[in-house]
Amino acid sequence: MRPAHWGAALVWCAAVLVWGSVPARGGGPIAVVATSTDLKALAEAVGGERVAVEALLPSGQNPHAVDIKPGQLAALRRAALVVRVGLDHEPWLARALALARESAPMPAELDCSRGIALLQGETARVRPGTGEHVHGFGNTHYWLDPENARPITAGLLDALARLAPAERAYFEGRRTEFLRRLDAGIARWQAALAPYRGARIVVVHESWPYFARRFGLDIVAALEPTPGVSPSPAYLASLAARMKEAQVRVVIAEPYANAALVAKVAALSGAREARLASSVGGLPEAADYIALFDVDVARLAEAFRPR
Amino acid sequence: MLDLLWAPLLACLVLTGMHVYLGLHVLARGVIFVDLALAQVAALGVTVAFLAGHPLQSAAGYWYALAFALAGALLLSLTRVERPRIPQEAVIGVVYAVSAALALLVIDRAPQGAEHVKELLVGGILTVTPGEVIRLALLYAVIGALHVAVRRPLLEISFDPAAAAAGGRALRRWDFVFYVTFAVVVTSSVRVAGVLLVFSYLVVPAAVSALLSRSIGVRLAVGWALGAGVSACGLWASFAWDLPTGATIVASFGALMAAVALALGFAALARGGRAARLEVGVALCAAVAVAGLLLIAAPRMDHHWLDWVERGLPAVELAFLSPAERQAWYDSRDAVARGSAELKRLNTLQEDVRWGRAQLSPEQQERLRQFLAARGEITAGDRFVLETLRGRARERQRYWLGAPLVLAGAAGGLALFVRSRSLRF
Repeated sequence: MRPAHWGAALVWCAAVLVWGSVPARGGGPIAVVATSTDLKALAEAVGGERVAVEALLPSGQNPHAVDIKPGQLAALRRAALVVRVGLDHEPWLARALALARESAPMPAELDCSRGIALLQGETARVRPGTGEHVHGFGNTHYWLDPENARPITAGLLDALARLAPAERAYFEGRRTEFLRRLDAGIARWQAALAPYRGARIVVVHESWPYFARRFGLDIVAALEPTPGVSPSPAYLASLAARMKEAQVRVVIAEPYANAALVAKVAALSGAREARLASSVGGLPEAADYIALFDVDVARLAEAFRPR
Repeated sequence: MLDLLWAPLLACLVLTGMHVYLGLHVLARGVIFVDLALAQVAALGVTVAFLAGHPLQSAAGYWYALAFALAGALLLSLTRVERPRIPQEAVIGVVYAVSAALALLVIDRAPQGAEHVKELLVGGILTVTPGEVIRLALLYAVIGALHVAVRRPLLEISFDPAAAAAGGRALRRWDFVFYVTFAVVVTSSVRVAGVLLVFSYLVVPAAVSALLSRSIGVRLAVGWALGAGVSACGLWASFAWDLPTGATIVASFGALMAAVALALGFAALARGGRAARLEVGVALCAAVAVAGLLLIAAPRMDHHWLDWVERGLPAVELAFLSPAERQAWYDSRDAVARGSAELKRLNTLQEDVRWGRAQLSPEQQERLRQFLAARGEITAGDRFVLETLRGRARERQRYWLGAPLVLAGAAGGLALFVRSRSLRF
């Protein structure tokens, strides 16, 4: 055997040793639980076939109020890594984890909000007179800025490589490949939305500040400042009048937004509604992270296109 | 305003027309929650339709809902027996709970369904379209005509089932007719107005008019007038005070009910003479004594009545502060007023910039944002000073205000109680 082969064999032996010393792994893929479909998609992008990811919540469900099911507890029990949105997005998670793990050691936890420049981090007191729907720690919908996939996947790579050090190169390769596709995507999306930079838009829920900032859109108002509470007629009337005056052309609505309300505002103001998915799986076409932006950008550009 | 509210107002009037009449039946039968149960069964139908691939607002969704509601109607008419071993409300409650649970189980298999089903039960009276109002009016005209045509048996089985049975009426068959029309109405109304509003239209006008008259004709007329009046008031209040529309109308119905109850209470008081007035006096004195006791026991808890008094008469609070504290109180109050006014003005400016009505350079905008944040903190600080001073005043009011209240309440209550006892014997 040539020395190079010896070296390779040594590395291989070391890998086997390390593999064996990782506690939560039975040799199969790493069990990962992500709280949202977006984080699931990103974890799969990095982990590939070496991870088995489950999303706790289907997309489009209100993440703040969750009815935990036994299956979800079982998933948390199996998990070697829990990937979460963080901030105050999943207030129920700590309780569910404690319940699922009982005396077993807690899984590794990755809070993806670390390392993200957050928006709207003001407290309610500092934003008097504006909406009550204030995220105490900042707006949590940061995955809707594709650039934020960089820090998120970096955190994922780190966490996965810590659980399976031997696979680091594999994860790194996958992440590089993902970022290559992401860069191509960002260029594509920026180009598609470039004609509409600076355009004023109205959203139904305050889920879009990151998306809007990335693509140079200007969110001027939210239709339902408090989610789930329909706006008053006075607010609706003044909003529609302002939208007309400011020539707001597009209302961004999630697929689960109140259809009658959005239609009413669109009719009153002359704006067009764009149904965008705020999460992977929110629309059938939004099957993964890149596809999410592909479909959202296409729909948004379609709504902006003058007719 | 009018262009936004006339369609909801017409929808409310159509709802009033149908529901007040059906409400008389529901009240007479004592099946108050039947519409909640049927609405929930209809929602289950829509949920099943959603799972089968039909959008929620589609025609297919409506037919599914109707089919389920009709099945529910059949079930309800079958469970009406002559000498029931359990009240029918038990069946209605079970139907409600089980169909709500089944809807949850079904929706769990469909992504994003939960929000939609919630929306279905909440309804959106504000976003009703003229087309929907017309369809609703036509449908209810047909059902109303049917009820007029067979009013005799229908009224009899609701208001006097024993006589109807003795007269040879087929109770179950007519019951089925009633529940079928009821199911159609509920299924259609809930889509537009949501369960809370539909329930209010059904029960409140009928209940209030039943308090005022025995004649069915008078009840119907009074109920229609009340329903129309409350609808108009609720819509107006929703616009004037910037409130969600459906919830405001429901609250207006509550206010109507409370007003009628108060009026009837006063009438009873007037009729009851001195004894009744003394009893009310005892209750009021007891309330005063309890308020005083609470002030002594926990001066720092929320004493809303004292807050209101002090808002009107700041002297009540100022009398318990030292001169220096009084000066701080005046300064903070003025600062809060100034700060709030300035915040309001700058918020409007910020809003105008966002909407493109006013122009500011990005740097100016950032400075405005920072200034607003700082100003907000300062005003919050001034508010905090006022709260602290109020807390201090409360510590001193504790005995000086609390003890006299307890004494006055107890003494007054005792005196009135003795008086009422002597009156009785």
